[in-house]
Amino acid sequence: MKKRPASKARHNGASRPAAGRNGQRPADQERRYRIPDWRLERPQFHVTQKRTEAGEVRYSFTGDLDLAPPPIRESGYLTREKSIELYRWMLLNRRMEQTLETLYKQSKVVGGVYFGLGQEACSCASALALGDGDWFAPMIRNQGALLVRGFHPRDVMMQYMAKADSPTHGKDGTSHYGDIAQRNMVSPISMLGDLIPILTGVALGARLQGRNIAALTWIGDGGQSTGVTHEGLNFAAVQKLGLVLIVENNLWAYSTPTEMQFAIEDLAERAIGYGVPGMIVDGTDACQVFDATLEAVQRAHRGEGPTLIEAKMMRMKGHAIHDAAGYVPPEMLEFWRKRDPIARFEKHLLGKKWLTPAQNRELIAEVERQVDEDRTLAEASPMPDPAQAPKGVYCDPGCHPITLKYGGVKPARRGGAKLKQSEAALHFR
Amino acid sequence: MPAVTYLEAIRLALWEEMERDPNVFCIGEDIGIYGGAFKVTDGFIDRFGAERVIDTPIAESAIVGAAYGASLTGLRPVAEFQFMDFIACAFNQIVNVLAKSHYRWGAPAPLVLRGPSGGGVHGGPFHSQNPEMWFVKTPGLKVVCPATPADAYGLMKSAIRDNNPVIFFEHKFLYRRIKEELPNGGGDFTVPLGRARQARAGRDLSVITYAAMVHVALEAAEALAAEGIEVEVLDLRTVLPLDREAIAETVRKTSRAIILHEDTLTGGLAGEIAAIINEEAFDWLDAPISRIAALDTPVPFSPPLEHAFLPKVEDVVREARRLRAW
Repeated sequence: MKKRPASKARHNGASRPAAGRNGQRPADQERRYRIPDWRLERPQFHVTQKRTEAGEVRYSFTGDLDLAPPPIRESGYLTREKSIELYRWMLLNRRMEQTLETLYKQSKVVGGVYFGLGQEACSCASALALGDGDWFAPMIRNQGALLVRGFHPRDVMMQYMAKADSPTHGKDGTSHYGDIAQRNMVSPISMLGDLIPILTGVALGARLQGRNIAALTWIGDGGQSTGVTHEGLNFAAVQKLGLVLIVENNLWAYSTPTEMQFAIEDLAERAIGYGVPGMIVDGTDACQVFDATLEAVQRAHRGEGPTLIEAKMMRMKGHAIHDAAGYVPPEMLEFWRKRDPIARFEKHLLGKKWLTPAQNRELIAEVERQVDEDRTLAEASPMPDPAQAPKGVYCDPGCHPITLKYGGVKPARRGGAKLKQSEAALHFR
Repeated sequence: MPAVTYLEAIRLALWEEMERDPNVFCIGEDIGIYGGAFKVTDGFIDRFGAERVIDTPIAESAIVGAAYGASLTGLRPVAEFQFMDFIACAFNQIVNVLAKSHYRWGAPAPLVLRGPSGGGVHGGPFHSQNPEMWFVKTPGLKVVCPATPADAYGLMKSAIRDNNPVIFFEHKFLYRRIKEELPNGGGDFTVPLGRARQARAGRDLSVITYAAMVHVALEAAEALAAEGIEVEVLDLRTVLPLDREAIAETVRKTSRAIILHEDTLTGGLAGEIAAIINEEAFDWLDAPISRIAALDTPVPFSPPLEHAFLPKVEDVVREARRLRAW
């Protein structure tokens, strides 16, 4: 294992993370960056393409496989009650996805199923750290966030089964839906990175109406390669808007390992280039994810701008249900199986005696009951009426009110200038 | 009220909408203190402040994405592209996010994407295009291409007040070349989206067109009138959604149709309009439908090449004579 200083001070360029251009530069010629790393273990993995003796090209893996799983880092914020709530969301997240798998195997799902197995802590703890007036936009593996923010497992199930009562009434599937009115959720699209400038714009719209909000979205180690990721984060940084960007580094982008996605060591380092705070957490540690997100949300509420949080974990299934992920070295899965976020958090709660084994059994049974009930409701929903297919392309008069979420813009300090003849443009006469 | 140019009409409409509704704001590159590459927002920052006239990094996807995000909070952003050629840089946000927003999840996106398009100014391959058809193919968008100052003013107001994403193609050749007095004596008025306008009445032949080509059609009509050919000119104004009734009506009246546009021929709007005529007015036709469009090439830079590329008055005159004699 490569040794590095615990503080993880970096010596590779310019000054401090948040200070930006207004900050004081150090007197010496070497600028330092700070990337806090809250993980209690720092495993190293390397995946390379190699030709086998049989002449096939496969991924070859080396890494720290022998480490024992670390304990959960104590949260500075989570109470007993809130911790149990978070644990319950994670259980619900997993149980719902297990049921989706069953529905798929029964041929009741239209299309594929995407899973967040192994990523439940990251989805649920981050969503739970948001305030009521904050916004979010989940990616495909953040189905737990939907539950935390008030959707039911049946909503997700009906989306996958393309039912009439699904949030999109069969117009779109998976987690591709949203809710402006109540839950402040922007619908994701399949293309990666587009949500980043959009959530930045949501924060801009709120600020124009006098509110500093946090706007949370996630991006993967693959998705962060897109150009729009850069455009969005840079704009949020320039405008100091309350974007909270969680980079979920789950080590595989479909079949592509991180080594073929980026050349820096940790994606959190990207934050330096934008002049925003960046940090690293263990994405399988619910307390780390919650605390880091909460502090980013608080920064957003204070109008201090965006935060980039890299959460390290492992995608424990294929890209989608069709993908057996045979390209993933099995020992890598084995390593992360010992870091199951739910099992780790369960052990933590039992160890602190915040949860008794009996309460735990009851909680699990209650979650199973809820998912079963929702499954019955979801299956009972009819398929959509084909007559709905041509409807809803445009927002016609009377179809939706345009609601000012924060009361509208109060034009302060309007200048007295009047519209005058514009100066002629210099080019293209 | 004195006559105003096409550009001043757009400025006036934008300014008045920002005065009328504090939830309208502008976002784009160099639109603040500099006033925009063509000075459309010149002086706006002095009146409305940097909060509502937002200069951005050079990042078209971020501009469109942020405008969309702000629209979800109920605001009405007007995003400027320095040249509409650069709208390609934001293509995914427009066709996959904005256009599908209402259909997929019932989220209206009341925003306007505006900027200069079109050739005739020797701007070359990246400052002259008419990329409207990239978006006409995408359900959920509205696409506007005004030809006159009054329409530019009235359509801009309608676009800002509309609850859908509207792409507003201004024509830079027309910016400071044409002038007219606005109707209503300077009072507020709108021009509805999706409705064509009869730019000239005639009985012998219809030229169906939009944007700068309306003026080419009118010049040709004047020349043809001297030969006794009375040309009707239909200015579509909005190219998505199309005014099917107006297209059918003019062809049923004249029985001959030329479709004229500055965009390139293949995959251009003329093919779509020809299909509409086929569906709505086939029995009335006395001659084949004629398409006049730019060459199927990038827009060339050098003036003689660009001249060869663009549709011209003589093309319309020649085709009109041919159809008249059919």
